[in-house]
Amino acid sequence: MNLMKYFKPNKVFYIFVTTMLLISCSSESKSSDPFSSADELTKSSENKSSNIDNTSKNSSNKLNILYSDPPTLDPHIAQDSTSAGIILELYSGLVSLNTDLKIVPDLAESWTISEDGMQYIFKLRDNAKFHDGKKITANDFLWSFTRASSPSTVSITAEDYLGDIIGVRDVIKGDSEVISGIKVIDDLTLQINIDSPKAYFLAKLTYPVAFVLDKENLKEANWMDKPNGSGPFILDEYLIGEKLVLKRNLNWHKPPAKLEYVSMNLAGGSAMAMYENGEIDITGVGMADLERVLDPDNILNKDVVVAPFDFSQYYIGFNMEKPPFDDIFFRQALAYAINKELIASEVLSDLVKPAYGILPPGFPGYDEKIQGLQHSEILAKESLSKSKYSDISSLPRIILSVPGTGGSAGLDIEVILEMWKQTLGIEVEIQQVEWATFLQMLNKKDLQFFSGLGWIADYPDPENFLDINFHSKKSTNHNNYNNPKVDDLLESARIERDVQTRLDMYNQAEKIIVEESPWIPLWFPGDRYVLINQRVKNYKLTPMSVPKYSLVEIVE
Amino acid sequence: MWQYILSRLMWIPFLLISVAFITFILGRFGPGDPIEIMMGTKYDPIVAERVRSEMGLDRPIISQFGSYLKNASQGDFGESLRYRGRSVSGLIGPKLIVSAKLSFVSLLISILIGLPLGFLIAHKQGTWIDPFIVTISVTFMSIPIMITIPALLWIGCLKTDLVPCSGWGGLFDRRIIIPALTMGIPGIAFMIRIMRASTLDVLGEDYIRTAKAKGLNFFTISNRHVLRNSMIPIVTILSFSLAGILGGAFITETILGIPGVGRFSVESIFNRDYPVIMAITLIGAVAFILANLVADISYSIIDPRIRYR
Repeated sequence: MNLMKYFKPNKVFYIFVTTMLLISCSSESKSSDPFSSADELTKSSENKSSNIDNTSKNSSNKLNILYSDPPTLDPHIAQDSTSAGIILELYSGLVSLNTDLKIVPDLAESWTISEDGMQYIFKLRDNAKFHDGKKITANDFLWSFTRASSPSTVSITAEDYLGDIIGVRDVIKGDSEVISGIKVIDDLTLQINIDSPKAYFLAKLTYPVAFVLDKENLKEANWMDKPNGSGPFILDEYLIGEKLVLKRNLNWHKPPAKLEYVSMNLAGGSAMAMYENGEIDITGVGMADLERVLDPDNILNKDVVVAPFDFSQYYIGFNMEKPPFDDIFFRQALAYAINKELIASEVLSDLVKPAYGILPPGFPGYDEKIQGLQHSEILAKESLSKSKYSDISSLPRIILSVPGTGGSAGLDIEVILEMWKQTLGIEVEIQQVEWATFLQMLNKKDLQFFSGLGWIADYPDPENFLDINFHSKKSTNHNNYNNPKVDDLLESARIERDVQTRLDMYNQAEKIIVEESPWIPLWFPGDRYVLINQRVKNYKLTPMSVPKYSLVEIVE
Repeated sequence: MWQYILSRLMWIPFLLISVAFITFILGRFGPGDPIEIMMGTKYDPIVAERVRSEMGLDRPIISQFGSYLKNASQGDFGESLRYRGRSVSGLIGPKLIVSAKLSFVSLLISILIGLPLGFLIAHKQGTWIDPFIVTISVTFMSIPIMITIPALLWIGCLKTDLVPCSGWGGLFDRRIIIPALTMGIPGIAFMIRIMRASTLDVLGEDYIRTAKAKGLNFFTISNRHVLRNSMIPIVTILSFSLAGILGGAFITETILGIPGVGRFSVESIFNRDYPVIMAITLIGAVAFILANLVADISYSIIDPRIRYR
């Protein structure tokens, strides 16, 4: 009960929060949440009322989308997908991810990796230029890496993404002003030394914190209003809370984008109504509109595209140091008792895929053979009887904490609680905790049992899923999971250079983790169904953020 | 009079510092932490400690408060913790204007409809019109906006398609109609009640009887004696409503997707964006203090009997 002293909502608070959730659906914990997309205010068809200013750029060669205000446009401090979605179009780095999520050359045209896997030599493109036409040299990269790591930049991501480079951690700590591991060999050649052979290092360089910035540009006050980036698009106009317009960059090192403008409406509103009204070209489909949109007779049906699942997973986490979750059989019993297939189809309209393993489908290292703990009432009861809590009357109080203030933990969680009660006779209480307080308790490992969280991959490498969540020494291991064998596997995989051997190691680790059940995988979420206007061609739906607008074409 | 105003003005800094201090302390000691929110589930205590110290959030609270006051007194409210690299004033400014426009229109609705009606029904006391309008206005006043908004949306947007369901397009955009009515309707009822009571008071005064006895016509009495005197309590209420203009409307703005201060406050509180919360609180405090002062001063202009020393 000590939780309640942190949070005593009053009625008014509930009221506005509930309604806020109705409208905005934008909690950090659920950035791509299919569950909360039932937008009550979505209007049915024939909405004629358009007051969005579409006249700003009288070009028909323009993609219109609904977006939200990016917390920042500085690639070195950005750490959220909303900011990244714009930053990836405005700036670029040595390498990037293409729409198939393969690492491809960007400003670097090629690179070589030394025998021991610890030295990378990047050859920059001769025609690599900033938006204003200025040439990009190896010195710009050196300066940018240093700026990203500098304490005064206050970057949250520098340590994670650049920390493998020798000397970066010293700069971050303020012990040094130069990164000893980066050398400029000539204008177009950059040498980077890392502390041990790490297969995922290149993948990390696709993250914005490794992007190049123009030193001169940053000397200007409010440079973020006119960033001199190097990506396929230029920031043409940005009115906070209203709109953001990207314009194609004719100085780009690749053939310029076919699309002239990307206009992002930041003012919000009902996406479905705006789509039907022709104000935006792309929207996800929430549960409220699903039936209508999937009806073959509906005019919208021809625009429906099935999207891949995101590289993320929703789960129920146990704190393995708090009883009764210190008992493996008890955890397994809870996992066996959930009929995920039933919930996915009946409650969540098949907008999610039930998860049994940890890695999402399509992710490197994904193994569909991992069966996990499939639903079985018999096994559930059997596990419970094997556990030291087989006499459920001796169970300590079980409180499931979920983040949020909406008054409901989500229908899926409520059904799961009911399944536990019916199959095992176990009663679980739900406690909703406001997001900031929830995080604080999660990080202090004060929560006994939690859900409503998803892990979203930052780069496509199993390390980003398994190591970061299940290695006993990681601060992001919220479950207090500690298995020396898994630790060994994860540590060897960090430096294994043979791709297949490495994936096998992760595979072994994943199998152990799933068996021991420090968390119950629930769903792989995603914008399952997306509407794309017929005039938009070649818009790729990807399971994570990658630069993509330069490929898009508008055909009237 | 001037002396009075001056002495009132001299109190303002003390009031503001107290308000700032309380907000500051509540923010820092309450649960939740902006760095944790920034890092979300990827929180790493070592990185967080470093970031906290680079942002100065690890210094003693009194010293943080001191430097905040120093900067704020020079008009620098700092940078947002959520919108990194953006100044608080730059973020709040446009949102203040949006909220002010919306509140102004809703205030106008309540005044233009409420005051004449209240004045009118006071003269109709004893007939059916008075209790009829009073009952209606009490009913409207008691309806919470959590009901008004869905009702208006249902009528104006879902059933008839007259206005879009949400969003904002400025003063002369149809989308202002629902929020302005939402905020204006309780105001109308409120204005009617106050104006009616106040007018009735005045109508019962001896000097009105005298005026009538002198044979003055109805309009002269109404205009010169009744209206002017019954406006005194209204002025107080108006001044506070004016202060509210800058405060924004938390619920209405949030539900209807209006990019004003109210919605931004809610968002900032959830993000523990201390500098923004501080600035919004201070702006609200200044508005209320000034409104109070304006109310007091306007009393003495309307009613020559009230004098301040």
